[in-house]
Amino acid sequence: MSDPINIRDLRPGTTVVLLSGAEAEIIDNPKDGVWLFARYLTSPDNPELVGREEMIFAQEVVDTR
Amino acid sequence: MATTGTRGYRPGLVDLASGQISREIFVSDEIYAEEQERVFARAWLFVGHESQIPDPGDYFVSRMGEESVILCRDRGGKVHVFLNSCRHRGMKVCRYDEGNAAVFTCPYHGWSYGTDGALVGVPYFREAYRSKLDKAKWGLVEVAQLACYKGTVWATWDAAAPPFLEYLGEFRRFLDLILDGWDGREGQAELLGGVQKWLIPCNWKFPAENFSGDSYHNISHRSVDLVGVGPSGRSRRDYGELNASRKLHVAFPDRGHQTITYLMPRDHVPQPAYQNSPEVAEYFRHCEEERRKRPGPNARLIGAPGEIFPNLALLPRQPRTLAVWHPKSAHQTEVWRFFFVDRDAPQQVKDFLRDYYIRYSGPAGMTEQDDMENWNYAHAASRGVIARRYPYSYEMGLGEAVEDYEFEGFRMPGRVIDLTAAQASEEPMRNLYGRWAQFMEAESWDELMTWRRKVPREAVAAK
Repeated sequence: MSDPINIRDLRPGTTVVLLSGAEAEIIDNPKDGVWLFARYLTSPDNPELVGREEMIFAQEVVDTR
Repeated sequence: MATTGTRGYRPGLVDLASGQISREIFVSDEIYAEEQERVFARAWLFVGHESQIPDPGDYFVSRMGEESVILCRDRGGKVHVFLNSCRHRGMKVCRYDEGNAAVFTCPYHGWSYGTDGALVGVPYFREAYRSKLDKAKWGLVEVAQLACYKGTVWATWDAAAPPFLEYLGEFRRFLDLILDGWDGREGQAELLGGVQKWLIPCNWKFPAENFSGDSYHNISHRSVDLVGVGPSGRSRRDYGELNASRKLHVAFPDRGHQTITYLMPRDHVPQPAYQNSPEVAEYFRHCEEERRKRPGPNARLIGAPGEIFPNLALLPRQPRTLAVWHPKSAHQTEVWRFFFVDRDAPQQVKDFLRDYYIRYSGPAGMTEQDDMENWNYAHAASRGVIARRYPYSYEMGLGEAVEDYEFEGFRMPGRVIDLTAAQASEEPMRNLYGRWAQFMEAESWDELMTWRRKVPREAVAAK
């Protein structure tokens, strides 16, 4: 298991990789350590999400690009 | 008025006919618990000032009774007051005193709310809830009614409460004395600095009754008068015009608001004040002159300590403050003091007033220290099983109040006692506890809005 990422440090424009394998680009970071506002770039399990802006839960973020 | 085996509130503890009030209403844990429901969950309560949240996303964490609430301005600019408690497991969603936020996020499981209170983030919404949780049902709990009045923000949990200005009634003119500019222009008050907050070991009603208009306790402040903390270096305040004014107690029994006020003679010339600083003295001389030129009833009124039911004290004159007596337990109160200045006043005036206010009020203020000694020891000395058997006396001025008080063409509404000769009365305290008892006994706001059942005087005269 990789070390947890401090999502408070992530800047808008950063791409995050999620548990599901999806990728999303950060639009805004409220810096509460719990959520990110992001737009889905890819989503192999659920293609309907691509292009959608959603709040991403910190526990779902496994990596950054 | 010895206590029986009955605990909790019961009629008779507040006996206005004899002017006696049981100590139980101050020290009983059961009565305290009941008044949270019957008083604080129903009355309009002061929450804060709009100048604390000027921009979208700004918030100020306040209190309503024992509840922590968030006063915030949403992204669209609308003002809200929310219960500061996550709908999932109750954790506070905001643990700062003030700031700016895009969302309020619960640190326990991560539920997240927009500044409009909507539930916007639920961890594993798709995976664990299968997208079936109805987010629209689980937003932050919002107050039933909210009112912004000349910058101040008020709220109530009770949808059946009357609108705020109706709740205030004719007491509005006394609140205006603090919220309007010293020169009489509307809504010029600006919050000066932060809010002073501290705990005192007494029931919230001790300070509430003191600020209702207790001028009998001035002996407590004798030492401060001798030191001379006033803005002219003498006494506590500059109240030169009081020597020529009528000193009045004004009470509104159907609302529970009451105050001391001073009514100046017609064409009264402003007295010199703030002589410790010529520039500040000139500012107030000019403002007083302008105020007297304005039409309306307040041009001849000088504000003094008063109380808006249940727990908001106002002191419009010197120092110009609002104080909230937040109940923490039957035996502890959290005091919040908001200090005000004229928005357009020169910085030198604001700085001078800040120094004076802090010297006078707040936990380090010399006068407030006197008061706290009295309240705290009075509370402690009233808790014992023997002490509780003996009521307090509120007999001063009993039966002396009149309606339709008039002086040189100025008709004062409410029940009034002219204290110019008597110096003091306990009419305001009886008024406070009379209304408090009504709240404790009434089952709904229908019973509390007695003014709506009154026949207008003009209609009676016409019959």
